[in-house]
Amino acid sequence: MLRLPEFTLTRPESLDAALALLKEHGDAALPIAGGTDLVPNMKHGLFEPKMVVSLADVPELHGVEETADGGLRIGAMTTLASLAVHESVQRYPVLAQAASLIAGPQLREVGTLGGNVMLDTRCQWYNQTYFWRKALGYCLKKDGTECHVVKGGKKCVAAASNDTAPALMSLGAVLELAGPEGAREVTIDEFYVADGIVNRDVRQGELLVAVRIPAPAAGHRSAYGKLRTRGSIDFPLLGVACSFDLDAAGVIANADLVVTALQARPTRARKAIALLEGADTSGEGFEAVIAAVAAAARKQCHPLPNIPGDHEYRREMVPVYVTRTLRAALDEGGPVHHI
Amino acid sequence: MQNLRLNINGDSVEVGAPSHWTLCEVLRYRLGLTGTKQGCDKGDCGACTVLIDGRPVLSCIHLAALAEDKEVTTIEGLRPLHQAAGGEGCDPVQDSFDRCGALQCGFCQSGMILSAKALLDEVPVPTEEDARAALSGNLCRCTGYTQIFQAIERAACERAGLEPTKPAWAPESSEHEA
Amino acid sequence: MKPDPARYVHGTDAPWDEFQVVGKPHRKVDGLAKATGEAVYADDIQLPGMLHAKTLRSPHPHARIRSVDTARAEALEGVHAVITGADLPTKYGVIPWTPDENALATDLVRFIGDEVAAVAAVDEDTANRALELIDVDYELLHAYLEPEESLERHDPAIHPDNKKGNISKHVELSFGEVDEALERAEAGELTLIEDDYTFHGTTHAPIEPHCAVARYSPDGLLTLWSSTQITHYVHRTLSAVLGLDPAKIRVVQPCLGGAFGGKSDPFSLEFCVALLAMRTGRPVKMLWTREEVFYAHRGRHPMKMHYKTAADAEGRVHAVDAKILIDGGSYSSFGLVTTYYSGQLLTGPYDFPAYRFDSTRVFTNKPPCGPKRGHGSVQPRFAFEVQLDEVAEAVGVDPIEIRRKNFQGEETETVNGQRITSNGFLECLARVEEASGWRERRGKLERGRGLGVAGSMYISGTNYPVYPNDMPQAGIQLKVDRSGVVTIFTGGNDIGQGSNSMVAYLVAEELGMDVAHVRVVAADTDLCPVDLGAYSSRVTFMVGNAAIDAARKLRAQIVEAVAEAWEVEPARVRLVGGRAIDLSDSERSIPTREAFQIAEVRFDTLGSTGSYNTPTLGGDYRGGTIGASPAYSFTAHVVEAVVDEETGRITVENCWIAHDCGRAINPMLVAGQMEGSAYMGIAEALMEEQEVNRFGLHRGPSLLDYTIPTSFDTPELHALIVESVDPEGPYGAKEAGEGPLHPSIPAISNAVYDAVGVRLRHLPFTPGRVLKELRAARESRAGESP
Repeated sequence: MLRLPEFTLTRPESLDAALALLKEHGDAALPIAGGTDLVPNMKHGLFEPKMVVSLADVPELHGVEETADGGLRIGAMTTLASLAVHESVQRYPVLAQAASLIAGPQLREVGTLGGNVMLDTRCQWYNQTYFWRKALGYCLKKDGTECHVVKGGKKCVAAASNDTAPALMSLGAVLELAGPEGAREVTIDEFYVADGIVNRDVRQGELLVAVRIPAPAAGHRSAYGKLRTRGSIDFPLLGVACSFDLDAAGVIANADLVVTALQARPTRARKAIALLEGADTSGEGFEAVIAAVAAAARKQCHPLPNIPGDHEYRREMVPVYVTRTLRAALDEGGPVHHI
Repeated sequence: MQNLRLNINGDSVEVGAPSHWTLCEVLRYRLGLTGTKQGCDKGDCGACTVLIDGRPVLSCIHLAALAEDKEVTTIEGLRPLHQAAGGEGCDPVQDSFDRCGALQCGFCQSGMILSAKALLDEVPVPTEEDARAALSGNLCRCTGYTQIFQAIERAACERAGLEPTKPAWAPESSEHEA
Repeated sequence: MKPDPARYVHGTDAPWDEFQVVGKPHRKVDGLAKATGEAVYADDIQLPGMLHAKTLRSPHPHARIRSVDTARAEALEGVHAVITGADLPTKYGVIPWTPDENALATDLVRFIGDEVAAVAAVDEDTANRALELIDVDYELLHAYLEPEESLERHDPAIHPDNKKGNISKHVELSFGEVDEALERAEAGELTLIEDDYTFHGTTHAPIEPHCAVARYSPDGLLTLWSSTQITHYVHRTLSAVLGLDPAKIRVVQPCLGGAFGGKSDPFSLEFCVALLAMRTGRPVKMLWTREEVFYAHRGRHPMKMHYKTAADAEGRVHAVDAKILIDGGSYSSFGLVTTYYSGQLLTGPYDFPAYRFDSTRVFTNKPPCGPKRGHGSVQPRFAFEVQLDEVAEAVGVDPIEIRRKNFQGEETETVNGQRITSNGFLECLARVEEASGWRERRGKLERGRGLGVAGSMYISGTNYPVYPNDMPQAGIQLKVDRSGVVTIFTGGNDIGQGSNSMVAYLVAEELGMDVAHVRVVAADTDLCPVDLGAYSSRVTFMVGNAAIDAARKLRAQIVEAVAEAWEVEPARVRLVGGRAIDLSDSERSIPTREAFQIAEVRFDTLGSTGSYNTPTLGGDYRGGTIGASPAYSFTAHVVEAVVDEETGRITVENCWIAHDCGRAINPMLVAGQMEGSAYMGIAEALMEEQEVNRFGLHRGPSLLDYTIPTSFDTPELHALIVESVDPEGPYGAKEAGEGPLHPSIPAISNAVYDAVGVRLRHLPFTPGRVLKELRAARESRAGESP
C-alpha cells in the first residue's frame, strides 16, 4: 500500500516539552494531532519530516470550557466528533454544523479542531501522489515553479478547505498560540493569509493551543452551508458560514458571512454583509435584501479551478448557498447540505 | 524500530514496528490480523476501520504507536468477545450480515461491521437514517447498501425483541441440519 | 463442431417433487468467514521469505523508451531483482486475436501509468527507493487524448504494428431494410428521432486493489495467487508469456474483494511477480496502490453515439440506425468484443425490423478501457432508451406502453440472428409499473419530481470462448466422503456474486442434502476443472448447468445402490432433507452419509464430473456469434428522481428494479445483484467520471476524487424478482449480475424529463450540466414565446 516516509515519533507529555522538541528539530519536525490530513499528505510525499511530534498526550491542548465572559475555550485537541455534539458548542450552530459535516464519521472521531484550523490548503495539482506530481513536473506549492490553476500563475491559489475556519471567522474567534518566543493571541481573521502555499500566519515552532469564541448574543443566529459531491467524506466545494444577531424586532446586527473553498483564504463577503446589517427580517423588503446579499456575494466570490470539479458551477452556487444558509440561520435550522 | 505494546481484542501484545507504520500495517503484516482490510491507501474508503476504545477509526491513517494504551478491537475480536460474554457463535451483527446477504465480496465488510457495531452499542435500535449516517464513511461497491441496512435493523430488532420492518432473508440457522 | 446441447441441459423441474433448497434464501457458503475476517484474500497471504515488488510506471502519455538502466537500483541493498520489458518480450491480450500488451513496456509507453520495470526487494520501502534509481531515457511522442484525433491521424501510431492506424476495431453490420425505413421517415410516413448521446468513462473501483503472489518451488512449479476473475486465461497467458509449460503453472484465485470486470484481463503484476519469483527463488508479492488500480482501469468505454429511430404513429419501431465512436484508451483488452457488443446487444427486448450499427473503437493515450459490468451495451442502451422515450413523446404514447408495443416476444429470433428463448420483459414492465404507482403518478407529480422507465436485455454468457475450442465451457467435479460431505471442485471464480454458494445449493438440491454438508473448492487450476471465468454473466448459467450435470450422475448411482440394498425399485428411493427415504415405507430411511457408504460399496470410490457447453448459436455472418447467448435476461426499471432547479442536483429517491433472472436459485443473492447493479448504474450516471486532464494525467486516481456513492447517496432500491424459467438454464435460471445495471441510467434521464422537461442526452448528469440544460431550455422557451 501507499507508504509513509520514515520518521521517528515522539510523544511529549507537556506543552513545554512539545515546544522544546519543535524548537530543537526545527523544519525537520512536524506536530501531529489526529493526523487525518497530515498522514495522507505524508503518504503523498507532501511532507517528509524526520520527526513527528504527537500532541495526543499534551494535557494543555485538551478540554472544552466556558470562559468567565460566557464564551467558550476549546482545546486544539478536541475531536471534531465531540465538538459537533458538545452541549456548549450548540450555542454556536455554525460551528457545530460545520464540524458535523467534515469528512466522514471515522475521521471525525480522530480529527481535531486544531488540525482543521491548521489544515493545509488543497488543490487538484497538489493533493496527489509523488508519482503523479512528478509526472506533472510538480507545481508551485510543492517542488515546482509553475501554478497549473491559472496559466503562468506566479502565486499559489490552493484553496482553504477547512469547514471550521469560516465558521470560526464568523464567530470572531481568537486563537491561542504557543511558541518558542512565548504565547500569543491572534484573531482568526488575521491568522489566515492569501497565500496558498501556507495560508496561516504561523511562526516556526508554534502550536495552536486553543480556540476562544466570545459569548453569543441573546439573539445569535448562525448556520453553515456546504456544497460537495457526496453526502459524506468529501472536502467542501464551497462552504458558507453565516452569523448574525437578531433583535426582538427582527432586525439584524453584527452580521457576518464568510465563504470558503474559493481561494487560499476564506472570503468575507463584505458588500453582502453591509446589505445584511440593519436589515429588517420581518419587513416585506427582506426578500429583496436576501437577493441583493446573494448577488453581492456572487460578485465578490470567485472560485478558481484549484480543487476538483467545475469551478463555474461552484461560482453559480455561491448565491444559492448564501441564500439558503442565511435562511437556515434565520429559521434556526441548518446545516445546508444536500443530504 | 520501536517496541509497541498494544491491547488488541483483549490481548496485550508486544510488537516491533518502525515509527512510520500505520496501525493497519502493524495489524495486517506484523500481527497477522488480516481481517482488517485496506482499499484506498489513505483514509478514503473505510475498509480499514477498527474500534479504538469502542469508536470507529481508520487504521490506515492512524499511526500504530498512537494506539498504545487504548483498547483496539478488530473484526477477529468480535466472535471471541461475544463468546467470552456468554454468547454463542458469532457476534449477532456478523451473523445478521450473513443472514441478510450483506456480504458479497466481503472486502468492505469488516470495517462496515465494526462501524455498525459501534452504532448499535451507542443506539440500540437505530433508524435507517442513523444507519446511513453511521456507515457514511464505509464505502461498499457491491450491495448498494440495501441488505446492509436490513442486516443492521435485524440485529438491532432481535436484540431488542422487536419485529424488523424489512424482509427477512436467510433463517436463523442452517435449516437442513440433519 | 459444437456438441449436442441436450447433453448439458437437464430441464427446469425440481429433481424431486418440489425444491428443497432452490428458491429459498440461504446463507452463503463463505459468509461467516467473510464476516469474521477469516476469509483469505490475496494480500492476506504471507509466505516465508516473501519479497515485495513494485512497478515503475511511465510519467509520459506517449513516448519511446530509448534505454532503461537498472544498475543503480540493482546495487541498492535489499533489492533482489529488477526486470524490464526486455525480460518479458512476448505480447499478449485477453483476446488472442489482439495481442498488443507487454507485461513491461518494450519500446513504447502509451499512457501515464504504463508499466516499465519492476523491482523485488526485502520490503515495500526498499522497492520504492529502488524505483527512484532506475534511469529511463524517453523520447516524447505526440499524445492522443481525444478519440476524434485518433480517427484522423496516426503518425505517430499508438500501435505501429496495427494495420488500421489508430483504429482498434471497426464493425459495420446491417440487418433488414434500414434505408427504406429512413426514406419513409424522410417522406413523412414515419416519425424520425435523431440525436447525439454521450457516455463518459467510468471505472469499477472494487474495494480490493489488485494483488498477486508468486512462489517458484524447487521442483520447477510456479504457483500464482491472484485477485483475478479469469483464472484459466491467466494460466494460459502466463504460460505463453513466461514460455513455461502450462503443466508447471498453478493459478489460484483466493477470496476476491470485488471485480465488476476490472479483474478480467491478465495484468502486468501477475507476470512480474511470477518472473521475479523465478529469478530470486523466493516468494514475491505485489499489491497495487489505489492509484495503480485507476491506471490499470479496463473500465467503461466512453462512447459518442448518434442514433436514428424511425417509428410509426402507433410507436412501433421500424428501424434503428447507430453510429458510435468508442474511446478505447491505449490497448485492445476486450475491445474487439466491446465493439461488437456496442451494436449486437441492442436487439431486445424490442423487435427491430431493421437495424444497422457502425461502431469504431480507436486507441488513445489514456488508461485502457475494457469490460465493466454490462460490457459494451450499457452505453448504447442509454442512448436508445432515451431515444425511445423521445419517440413515445413524439407519437403521444405512454413510455411503458411503447415498450410493451415493441416487445419482441418469447421464443423468437432477433433481426441480427440471436435466438431468444424465455423472456419475462412484459412482467418486468408490469411489476415496475405497479410498484412505482406509474399510472397514478407519472406526469402528475409536482414540478421537480418525476418518474422514468427504461428496459434492457443482457446475455447469460456467450457461445464465444475467447479462444476457439470445442471443449466444455464449464466443468465440475464432485467428490463424495464417507462422512456425508460432498466437495465440489469448480473452476468458477467467485468474485463476491456468490457463485461458490450457487453450486453448493444446486448440488444440495440434487442430492437432497443440507447445504452445510457441501464444501466448495474453487478457482484453483491444479484442483479444479476448467471454467472460463466470471465474465459475460456466464457463471450461474454455465457452471450451474455443469453442477447439475455432475450431481445428477451421482444421484443416479446413490439411488441405484440404495435401491439394490433395500431390494426395491429405484423409483421408491428419494434423497431429501439429508436422508435417503423409501417412498413406500415411511419407516425406512437412512442418513445421506449411510447412503453414500452403501453406494461406495456398490460402485467403489464415488465421484462424478459434469460439463456445460453452449449449443450452436448466432447469426451466420462474421461476428454473428459475438453476443449470441444461450439465454437472455430482461430488466425494467422505474426511477423516481427529484431535480433541484437551483442547484441542478438530481436526487434519485427510489429505483424499482424488475429483473427476469429465469429462476432465483437464492432470491437473497439475486436481490443483492439487482440492488448492487442499480446502485452502480445510478452512481456512474450521477457522480463518477474516469478522465484525464490536459497533460494526460488521471484527474484524481483516488477514492476521494473518484467519488463512489456513500450510504447517504444511494437511493431506496426495490428489487422485484421476475422468474420466466428458462428452458435451458439450471432449473431455469439466467443471469442477474449485469443486466439490472442497464436501465438505471436512461431511466434517470427519462425521470428528469418527467420532472422538469429537460432531456439529458450527455453523461454524466452532474449538477453543473443539469443547470446548463435547464437554462438552455428556459432560453429556448423564452425565444419561442412572443
